[in-house]
Amino acid sequence: MNEWEHHIEVQELSTWFGKKQVLKRISCYFKDNTVTAIMGPSGCGKSTFLRTLNRLNDLIPSFRRKGIVRFRGEDIFSPGYSVYNLRKNIGMVFQRPNPFPMSVRDNITYGPKLHGVNDEDELDDLVESCLKKAALWDEVKDDLDQPAPNLSGGQQQRLCIARALSVDPPVLLMDEPVSALDPISAGKIEELVVQLKKDYTIIMVTHNVQQAFRVSDQAAFLYLGELVEFDKTSRIAEAPTDERTEAFITGRIG
Amino acid sequence: MTHTERTEQRTPVNGTIRILIGRYQSFRELKDLFFKILLSVAIIVIVAPFFLVLFEVASIGFWQVFGSSSGQGIEFFLTFPGPSLEGGIRNALVGTVELVVIASCVGIPLSVLGAVYINEYTEPGLTKSIVEFTSDVLAGVPSIVIGAFGFAFLVDFLKLGMGVLAGSLTLSFMMIPTVLRTTQEALRSVPQSLREASLALGATKWSTTWNVTLRAAFPGIITGVLLAVGRIMGETAPLIFTAGNNLIVPTELSGSGSWVASLPYTIWAYITDPRAYVQEKAHGAALGLLIMVLIIDLIANYISRRVTRRLV
Ligand SMILES: Nc1ncnc2c1ncn2[C@@H]1O[C@H](COP(=O)(O)OP(=O)(O)OP(=O)(O)O)[C@@H](O)[C@H]1O
Ligand SMILES: [Mg+2]
Repeated sequence: MNEWEHHIEVQELSTWFGKKQVLKRISCYFKDNTVTAIMGPSGCGKSTFLRTLNRLNDLIPSFRRKGIVRFRGEDIFSPGYSVYNLRKNIGMVFQRPNPFPMSVRDNITYGPKLHGVNDEDELDDLVESCLKKAALWDEVKDDLDQPAPNLSGGQQQRLCIARALSVDPPVLLMDEPVSALDPISAGKIEELVVQLKKDYTIIMVTHNVQQAFRVSDQAAFLYLGELVEFDKTSRIAEAPTDERTEAFITGRIG
Repeated sequence: MTHTERTEQRTPVNGTIRILIGRYQSFRELKDLFFKILLSVAIIVIVAPFFLVLFEVASIGFWQVFGSSSGQGIEFFLTFPGPSLEGGIRNALVGTVELVVIASCVGIPLSVLGAVYINEYTEPGLTKSIVEFTSDVLAGVPSIVIGAFGFAFLVDFLKLGMGVLAGSLTLSFMMIPTVLRTTQEALRSVPQSLREASLALGATKWSTTWNVTLRAAFPGIITGVLLAVGRIMGETAPLIFTAGNNLIVPTELSGSGSWVASLPYTIWAYITDPRAYVQEKAHGAALGLLIMVLIIDLIANYISRRVTRRLV
């Protein structure tokens, strides 16, 4: 085992789609058991950054990258590194709720089954604990066999969180997880994020500065692919060092 | 009435406008009525053939299928024909089922796997365009040409001989383009983020395709499959040179014992027969075939609606 201090460390990461450079020499690490908010105007590369961390961008043929991302000290891009293991350890929640077209229960058991959990009792326990962690249990416990797409948007998104937790990843990536939801559902998920950081390291992309300030411990500000500022949220909220950050959080850009 | 309204009405310009609007409105209503009539006529023209066909076939064949005296009703379908075509059409019914089942067993997996391969495992490019182009062309090839090809390639070149194997393989050529294209369409409508959600859990590509993508595409695929089955069930032309005919059911897959009757071929052969009771059987068989195709369509409808409601 490598020595490692933080689950995820990023070193001089640059990425391209074709000839277009999207991320420019980003270096940072994410403190364990905290929420890090990634802010920035639309198109600045937030999603690209997140999707590089679990190698989801590998699916895009024109994607190239330079630099290193370490998960538990190991370079995730090194040859022979298991992308399946990586993704098992780094969960992801997407912008739009995207439950599988299966029952609520099957949505949760899908991941564990992939990774070899077949015992029915164990799966039942997992369903319960994941749904509880995602604050959805009380709403669905009476009908776990209902089709997941029948749930409301906010419930679907919490189901997606539960699904991400089902393979017990230490790190959770969230790409604007509430931007497609109504304010009440959004509030519930915000609360949830704060609770989850006890057990998980959370990296959350958000458009919304107020939300970032409410839920995060650290905040990163990305601008045109550059990591302009990365510090304690409270510090950035009080006095951003870079004028572009200030312009963004006061609403002048973005 | 308020004061202002009254003064407005009195001005001459306003009056003209009102008259114009009044005319225009009745003209619009007229146009509206005209289109309503046109649309109803179109609808009648569209649905009439269905009922006319049903009526024509049923007027002669009804008692064959629904009658209760001997040789009618279920007996019509369950007895073999005698040497002068008295008796039932069990040979044709069993033959059609055999042909369609074998054609489906070959055609459906091939086309679904083909669609999965070009949609999920290759980038858009030359291969994809070639496959799509050829399958579109194949879908447009007249069935008699497919039949001729089946004869030249399967019966003659591959020396399968006429029979159930050559016939059903020829039918599978007919269903492949339909199933392939509808499967592609169904796969295309599965949102990318569903695949990503599966991959992000550490799933392999194959597991994602099998458990998530194909599953989400299932209603579309099954609808395409059933439409294709309904279509080949009624095809005569591909079978004329490839399946042969038989008064009993085939005992072998290929070779001389494998000749097989089918409903469409039997209808075609019986209807040209001068004997009235044979023609009556042709109509009975046609009604039977029609009912089978209708049932398949209803099942397609039901499954796709039920699954859609359950899953999407
Ligand atoms: N698959 C792709 N192919 C080519 N270019 C892409 C692709 N995905 C993203 N890009 C480009 O990369 C840049 C960054 O996109 P990204 O989605 O990371 O932005 P974002 O910060 O998440 O924006 P938003 O807030 O709108 O979600 C954009 O200019 C976009 O056009
Ligand atoms: Mg984004």
